[in-house]
Amino acid sequence: MSGSGAREPVFPTRQSLQVMKSKLKGAQIGHDLLKRKSEALTKRFREITRRIDEAKRKMGRVMQIAAFSLAEVTYAVGGDIGYQIQESAKQARFRVRTKQENVSGVFLPQFESFTVEGKDDFGLTGLGKGGQQVQRCRETYARAVETLVELASLQTAFVILDEVIKVVNRRVNAIEHVIIPRTENTIRYINSELDELDREEFYRLKKVSGKKERDAAAAEVERTKKEDQKSQSQNDEDVETHDVLGDQDNEDVIF
Amino acid sequence: MEGVFYNVNFGYIEGIVRGYRNALLTGQNYSNLTQCETIDDVKLQLSPAYGDFLAALPPNPSTSALANKTTDKLVAEFRYIQANATGTLSKFMEYLTYGYMIDNVALLITGTLHERDTRELLERCHPLGWFETMPVLCVATNIEELYNSVLIETPLAPYFKGSLSHQDLDELNIEIIRNTLYKNYLEDFYEWCNSEAGVAGTPTAEVMSEVLEFEADRRSINITLNSFGTELSKAERKKLYPNFGRLHPEGTLMLSRADDVEGVRIAVDGVSDYKNFFDQTGLSGSGGAGVSNMAGGMGGETKSLEDMFYQKEMEISKLAFTRQFTHSVVYAWVKLREQEIRNITWIAECIAQNQKERIGNYISVF
Repeated sequence: MSGSGAREPVFPTRQSLQVMKSKLKGAQIGHDLLKRKSEALTKRFREITRRIDEAKRKMGRVMQIAAFSLAEVTYAVGGDIGYQIQESAKQARFRVRTKQENVSGVFLPQFESFTVEGKDDFGLTGLGKGGQQVQRCRETYARAVETLVELASLQTAFVILDEVIKVVNRRVNAIEHVIIPRTENTIRYINSELDELDREEFYRLKKVSGKKERDAAAAEVERTKKEDQKSQSQNDEDVETHDVLGDQDNEDVIF
Repeated sequence: MEGVFYNVNFGYIEGIVRGYRNALLTGQNYSNLTQCETIDDVKLQLSPAYGDFLAALPPNPSTSALANKTTDKLVAEFRYIQANATGTLSKFMEYLTYGYMIDNVALLITGTLHERDTRELLERCHPLGWFETMPVLCVATNIEELYNSVLIETPLAPYFKGSLSHQDLDELNIEIIRNTLYKNYLEDFYEWCNSEAGVAGTPTAEVMSEVLEFEADRRSINITLNSFGTELSKAERKKLYPNFGRLHPEGTLMLSRADDVEGVRIAVDGVSDYKNFFDQTGLSGSGGAGVSNMAGGMGGETKSLEDMFYQKEMEISKLAFTRQFTHSVVYAWVKLREQEIRNITWIAECIAQNQKERIGNYISVF
């Protein structure tokens, strides 16, 4: 029935029917577009999930090798060189820059790692012994950090995409399950109301025309009666004499 | 002749040190250690040798905690011997600590240069390199003050004097300072062993000369190899080579001119030991393709040059115990014990990180 379900608070007029119809059309187009966007994003999302999986596995391996190379440094140098390295590192050689990538209207930040060429701050560490291990350890850790940066960019994209996909899906569902049915309901309601009005109007018109007909018929009867009377009275005039008392206008009072 | 009177003064110490040497882990102990599944097992295996020192460790200790505790034992024993040492032996043991002092001073200089609170650094210093005036180093807030009033008071002052000015401390890389000091230290130690009245001409001088010559050559070769690709110039590099050793003077001259691994190989060709090392590590001919095979997870079978040097050092130290009436057993024992600590750390690290395939990389000579 047109009355059931939510509908918008509009007056059932033809104008609002037009408005509702265009609204329904808009909602359907929007729904299609959003659905497509959500699909594109989901595709991307799946790909990112897969790459995160790969990156995490890789990170596990790389970090293991890196931690082990640190153990080698400890073995070769025979002591803790951590403090010295911390102090002699003045500038970051390994840097990260971001750029944005546009995936169906969503801006995903992408981290890119690069190494600043130039002198290395602790190239001389372990000069006496263990220098090679120190350098190799540094290279291994640079690779590990590279993997971490890659993973970070994927994770960020993952979080942002997740959010966006949720929003888009919410919109798609809202349009599909709330806006479109409500608009359709409203249209049905307006239609039924308009039909109702039409029927009422028709009935009224029928009533009016019936009455008019009746009136017309009555008037016709009256007229013919009058005409009859007129012709009769003309005939009467010829023969009939007026009341001599002159009270032919007074009707007889009957008690 | 010296043997007759040696025991009068140093017999007790020598006995003690030989006793300590017998407590060192043997190949059997190491193979037991490599079978361990957890650090706790390692701890258990070590309990005959290190029992009382490891007892305080919590279950599943970190490898660094393990290394600290094993070092504590070395330090405790060293202190005991030092307390009982007299005459030339006491001086000899002081010389042993200078090497660690250099590391500590370098650490504190680094801290001062970067204006850190050097007090925190005292904990990081090697306990063997501790000297009475070391905490005073923390008082200095700038490098000039450090140089003029504090470093002069340390036992290392002679090594600074003449080769480093306070401007150098500010400008030079701390590694260069450290290696300059170490060079001066080695030369001084060598000089002392061969000229001190009670030492020169004794087996001590003989053994220590061999040990120190090897140490000097090792440093020269390592400095050369590690300086490739850094901003260290050849002239500066040359200054870091100790002025004695089997490579000196022709070998070091050639080392100072070497541009690559091949150059180093040619420089050391004259000494068969080092030539063998280079041949075994595959450095010769391949031209630096694998400067050291120790890392990278792959090719762990062949040993790195560093490993070969450690191995050689351990063999020299082991042979030192075949001589009697000499101070050098103390040196040898300290070195053997240090290697043992490194081995334990390495094995523990391999177990903790589940990298069993490389666990056999320790060096055992007994």
